[in-house]
Amino acid sequence: MRNSFLRILILALIISSLGVLSIYSSTYQKEGTPWQDIHKRQILWVIIGLACFFIMSQLNYRRLWDANYLIYGVAIFFLFLVFALGIIRLGAQRWLRFAWFNFQPSEFAKLAVIIFLARYFSRKSVDDISLLSGKFGIFRGIILPFIFVAVPMFLIIEQPDLGSGLMLLLVFVSLLYLTNVRLKYIFTLIFILILPLPFFWHFLRDYQKQRLLVFLNPNIDPLGAGYTVIQSRIAIGSGALFGRGWLSGTQSQLYFLPESHTDFVFATFSEQWGFLGSSLLLFMYYLIIRQGFIIAQRTQDSFGRLLAYGISLLLALQVFINIAMNMGLAPVVGLPLPLMSYGGSSILVTFIALGILVNIDRTRSVF
Amino acid sequence: MERKSFLKFLIILMFSTLFAALLNLDLLQGAKFRRLSDSNCIRLITQSGARGNILDRAGEIIVDSRISYDVLILPQELNQIDRILGGVSGILEIGVKELKAAFRNNYFSSSIPVTVASNIDLKKAILLGEYKLEEPSIIIQPRPLRHYPYGALASHVIGYVNEIDRWRLTKLEDYGYKTKDIVGFGGVEEKYDYYLRQEEGGLSVEVNHRGKFMRVLGFEPPCNGKDIQLTLDLKIQKIAEESLSGRKGSIILMDPQSGEILALANYPNFNPAVFVNKRTRLIAGLFNNPDSPLINRAISSSYPPASVFKVVLASAGLELKKINLYTSFLCRGSTMVGARKFSCWDVHGVQDIISAIAHSCDVFFYKTGLLVGAQNIHDYALKLGLGRSLGFELPYETSGFIPSPLWRKINKFQKWFDGDTANLSIGQGDCLVTPLQAANMMAVFANGGYLPSPYIIKTVGVLDLSEKKKKLSRVAFKKSTFEIIRRGLRAVVSDPKGTGNVLSGLGVSVAGKTGTAQVSRGATHAWFIGFFPYDKPKYVICVLLENGGPGHAASVVARQIIEAMNNQGLI
Repeated sequence: MRNSFLRILILALIISSLGVLSIYSSTYQKEGTPWQDIHKRQILWVIIGLACFFIMSQLNYRRLWDANYLIYGVAIFFLFLVFALGIIRLGAQRWLRFAWFNFQPSEFAKLAVIIFLARYFSRKSVDDISLLSGKFGIFRGIILPFIFVAVPMFLIIEQPDLGSGLMLLLVFVSLLYLTNVRLKYIFTLIFILILPLPFFWHFLRDYQKQRLLVFLNPNIDPLGAGYTVIQSRIAIGSGALFGRGWLSGTQSQLYFLPESHTDFVFATFSEQWGFLGSSLLLFMYYLIIRQGFIIAQRTQDSFGRLLAYGISLLLALQVFINIAMNMGLAPVVGLPLPLMSYGGSSILVTFIALGILVNIDRTRSVF
Repeated sequence: MERKSFLKFLIILMFSTLFAALLNLDLLQGAKFRRLSDSNCIRLITQSGARGNILDRAGEIIVDSRISYDVLILPQELNQIDRILGGVSGILEIGVKELKAAFRNNYFSSSIPVTVASNIDLKKAILLGEYKLEEPSIIIQPRPLRHYPYGALASHVIGYVNEIDRWRLTKLEDYGYKTKDIVGFGGVEEKYDYYLRQEEGGLSVEVNHRGKFMRVLGFEPPCNGKDIQLTLDLKIQKIAEESLSGRKGSIILMDPQSGEILALANYPNFNPAVFVNKRTRLIAGLFNNPDSPLINRAISSSYPPASVFKVVLASAGLELKKINLYTSFLCRGSTMVGARKFSCWDVHGVQDIISAIAHSCDVFFYKTGLLVGAQNIHDYALKLGLGRSLGFELPYETSGFIPSPLWRKINKFQKWFDGDTANLSIGQGDCLVTPLQAANMMAVFANGGYLPSPYIIKTVGVLDLSEKKKKLSRVAFKKSTFEIIRRGLRAVVSDPKGTGNVLSGLGVSVAGKTGTAQVSRGATHAWFIGFFPYDKPKYVICVLLENGGPGHAASVVARQIIEAMNNQGLI
């Protein structure tokens, strides 16, 4: 239906415009020229993202079925490339340098893994609406797809980007849940994953351990690892009901809040627009995700349905974890807020994903 | 439940959680976080006004304030601080180490600017002002400091200023005093601190996360304290201090008609500037000095009045009609009181009241005292303002002490003997008087029957207090009593054998009484209290030299003062 196309487009546009406003305000008054124009770059990314959105919404999503292995392969290739010649920023090797921008393959990999899983658990035939997984045993139902997920996940976690890596795992588990894989298997998997956690503790980087400890009690290190969370909570809380007003956020504009235009853009937004603005933003995110679920529910094609669920879940989890970490409810992991945080890769991938979502709905009506 | 419904439910739950958390942060704790946010980025830089000036009666400045400059730095990241301190050190010519130590010592919290150097001069402040353009985190704060153009002059009247101590703080907290406030200690500075005190104003500025200055948010101008005008006359004060020149003691000059204190000098004195400059060694020296230079001897120390007290005996005798102008006693150099021999300092022969005062004959007053009785002596001393606090404006006034048989009985369970009466008659024994009380008593004879209450504050701010302070209470003696005693006091100077004869021939007629107080240890205290000109007294003078020898020594000092005043045309 054109209806879902318009709805998603308008919501995405509003949210990304608010993102640009927040990015502008967070760099406002900050000295040094490289800062001044990042909102312009963001506008450019949104425009490119919109173009991708239109293209993807026209392109039949079933082509993804065919290109599936290629997409997965490219994603893995880029992730390897990051290892080889990625640039290091903020202590992590997450970006690939292109002509005039930095590309973050992990964002792309998230989408690729979802497409791959949707393909894996569904049949080619459009008419056959049942899922394969019902018949799968433990090996084909859990172990094999887990291996396919584990490869990019491991590469991402090693960057290190614990947040995006765990995000893949979460999307994987929830998709498994949706594909009618037996609950017994899923719980086994979760149990197996949780069991060696104390052991993995030793493999975590120091800063990651610190962040987890700080999440439990931000005040153990108020000037170090806990600083961001404390400042972010102050920023959000000081917005109170109506906010401080646009361009009047002291926390974000005077540098108290680090990463105020990327991972902590929600705090920047919330400081200036207050409770009213923030709850409106939350509601808009909810509407988009709800739209995604509606699309998934009314799609008969199992591949399209799983894809729609996967995309909605990815969005929902990212929004939830990011905002929760802004408010100190989740440990600080490097996850952007889709559509709002500064960053081309995230914007682009989110718009592409939304494009696919719209296309699934449109194609459905063709049948 | 179907799996997708469960997931949907999960998503709704997630968003509800976020919403609830938002509710908690924004609405329930919003005010707290707003405050935290403000304290993050708003810094208050206080600016103090100037403490009120202290002026003499003619409006000449005795104490005022000079602007000095403090250097403060908004706390920042450590390497930034090091760089800034390096720059500051180059300009101020103070070692980086010292500045760093000062920064460490004065650092209180990241939200309060830190003083790294104080008291820098204008030239360097201007140079730093230029450097500030590069480093806006430097704050140059003008701070008025107490300035004493005359050094130690009238130091006991003025007092000094210093950081508030704990005892004063607990008492004064309710009046808006804070720790580290500069308050007055001793003298006018202490007593009138509330009026002299300046009000703080200040600047609120916005800073970024590194403490770097961003912009000014608001300014409230500081208020200066009120000026206080004293009744002191700077010229007389100077003469008095010069005449004292290194001798321990106290000099008071007072207007007998009103009670205004015109000069109040003590030695040893102190230079209040050492407290401003924080010269720790000198300050410790002041406190440890056995001669207690911080004590205001004129009101806080009491001495045996000795022969000066004979004026009280004379009034009591005349008033109670135990003696009259024609009564005379024979002085053979001593007299027996009971079984004990009480000697006079000389052999005077036949003495009437006038010559007894003039020659300060002890025998005459032993006998007068025994006639009058100890309790009456005590009562008359009190009538003349001795033995009780005068309610003077400067702090730490002592009341002195006049013994009486009743007091002896109640407090010491001892009997009073005639010997004690004889001792009291010449102002020895337990009897103690402050120099101010002595001067005040002399004023009664100078003005012919009015006991003034001495005061030293003329105006506070624009408020003229002199009319309120001027309280003369009638001393109900017979006119003849005053006349006789005045004649006696005049004879002290005019009689060639008078004890104060050294004061004659000055071109101004002086009357007065000398005293030589025996003390248990050391040389005698020398007293001279008097007034001049005799006919129309304008000044009462009191000179006390602690361990200064016989009363003659004090008379010499008084002579110097009166001579100098006469030369300067002040009489």
